[in-house]
Amino acid sequence: MSLSVGLNCPACGGAIKVNEGEHVLNCQYCGSTLWAEGDAGVLTVAYKNMQDRDGVLRATEQWWRKGLKARDLRKKGRLLECYPIYLPFWSTVTRVAGWICGYEERTYQDRDGHSHTERIPKEEMVLNDYNYTNIACDPGDLGIKRLRNIGGEASFADFESIPTFESTTSKDDSVNGSKEKALQDARRDAGVPHVTFEKVTIIPKSISQIYYPVWVVRYSYGERMYMATVDGVTGNVLSGRAPGDPLYQSLAVTGGTSLGGLIAAAGLIVGAGSDDGTIMFGGVIVGLVILGVTYMFFRHGSEIIEGDFEDKKMKNPLKDIGIELGGLRI
Amino acid sequence: MASLKCTKCGASVEFDTGDKFVKCSYCSSQIFIDRSGAGFYYALPFAMNENDVVGVFRRWAGGSTRAKDLDKLAQISSVKKQYFPVYLFKRDVNGAEQVFVEPAGSTTLPGLHSLKVPGGDLKVFDDKFDTAGAEMIKPDIEMAPYLSKLPGTAKEQALVYFPIWKIDYVFEQKAYVVVVSATSGEVFSGEFPGRSSGAYMAVAGIGFVAFLVEGLLAIGSPVVAGVLMAATIAAVFIAANYVARRM
Repeated sequence: MSLSVGLNCPACGGAIKVNEGEHVLNCQYCGSTLWAEGDAGVLTVAYKNMQDRDGVLRATEQWWRKGLKARDLRKKGRLLECYPIYLPFWSTVTRVAGWICGYEERTYQDRDGHSHTERIPKEEMVLNDYNYTNIACDPGDLGIKRLRNIGGEASFADFESIPTFESTTSKDDSVNGSKEKALQDARRDAGVPHVTFEKVTIIPKSISQIYYPVWVVRYSYGERMYMATVDGVTGNVLSGRAPGDPLYQSLAVTGGTSLGGLIAAAGLIVGAGSDDGTIMFGGVIVGLVILGVTYMFFRHGSEIIEGDFEDKKMKNPLKDIGIELGGLRI
Repeated sequence: MASLKCTKCGASVEFDTGDKFVKCSYCSSQIFIDRSGAGFYYALPFAMNENDVVGVFRRWAGGSTRAKDLDKLAQISSVKKQYFPVYLFKRDVNGAEQVFVEPAGSTTLPGLHSLKVPGGDLKVFDDKFDTAGAEMIKPDIEMAPYLSKLPGTAKEQALVYFPIWKIDYVFEQKAYVVVVSATSGEVFSGEFPGRSSGAYMAVAGIGFVAFLVEGLLAIGSPVVAGVLMAATIAAVFIAANYVARRM
């Protein structure tokens, strides 16, 4: 089998120009309208890199000062490496059209203290286009899964000089994922609490591939190596790892135990004086939630993680306790 | 950069990894590259050097679930630069494109079983490719058995070498291994020395109960409760600070 196929106009034999993602085209010589079949690829756009090295390093240093990162990071942090890459994203537009019908229940109390429930019928038309971006390769430890910014100057000018990550995931998987997400978002936007009838059509309108410039910054703190990524268009920090500070961890757990304990106590005291059990339980639950959140920061706040990293997914305090009780250590 | 002969004029035309269409620079014909029948060899260049990965390892070892001071106490016994081979298949399954990744080399290393092709600047792997002194792990699993098992029809298949750093370290007389992807710095580990959450939970749990009791006590004797609360705040803070720094 031959590896390459030359493309000629079937009408006049002239060499034709076809861009990825195009099906219908006109021969530039004889003007025939042609239909290209087969694997047409996807329309690809690259955004121009608008940042330079100094700007990116400055953005990283500013980012060091924000949030609950180690206080001495500004003094001890050493910027080591900084380079741009192009990351591939699938960008999809999905249209959802149809009707979602149902009802909403509202409960109110009349003057005699009787509660009434009223059903309000709802009939919502859905007609929306949803745009999603989704990274087209395995981002590894870059902490980027989707784009915050969709815009910028389209240009392939830097394409040769900046290393380009190839897309290795399937565009059709991305289209299917977008269809599911669009349906969920359309249901949410319709705002019908109890659905009795639904007729919606999901139409994938377009898919394109966006190459987006991202700067990778590596820096050291003591002997440890951390990283951050900076948006090559807007200059904002997209994701990163940074050392935490034991002071903030201690303050968090001190605040969490005191506030949580006192709210739980207040719930018990107020709840004991009234017939309504919800106040008692509510207070204790709110107290425990505050305790849980601050505990997680106390336990895992020695590294501050910003962005879409796998290990950032909220660690479950119950799992922690289960492991401890089971005598296992992870 | 790989090249092929222009189908019209026979000139050599260079193309890059992701290209589907290329233009002959001599006769300017558009050429479509059909990859369905061929096997390609690709490789990702190393984006991190040895100092970088040791630093990444130390950051990972300093993480909250790793044994205290693992970053300082772990003795690194070897750092190896390797290329690990995987097969990447793009198939047309009922009109939809699907990507499959299968190992091409047998390994017991962590992270290389649940395979993904890491993002990176895929380069055509030929005799001009600079492996930067990395050890090439031989693909000892054939591509053909995978091809017959996979659904759909072929669009592209390739052998991809991806760059890893393998770090062996010893902690408390026990040997461990981690693999660091040299494109993004992602750390893959199997078993590693862990840290107990006990001290952390004790501080948080005892603190919470103490404040709860003091809160209840505050109805009867607010002054006593206030003094106790101030003492508890100081105690929790000091204990927490000790735990966060030392345990």
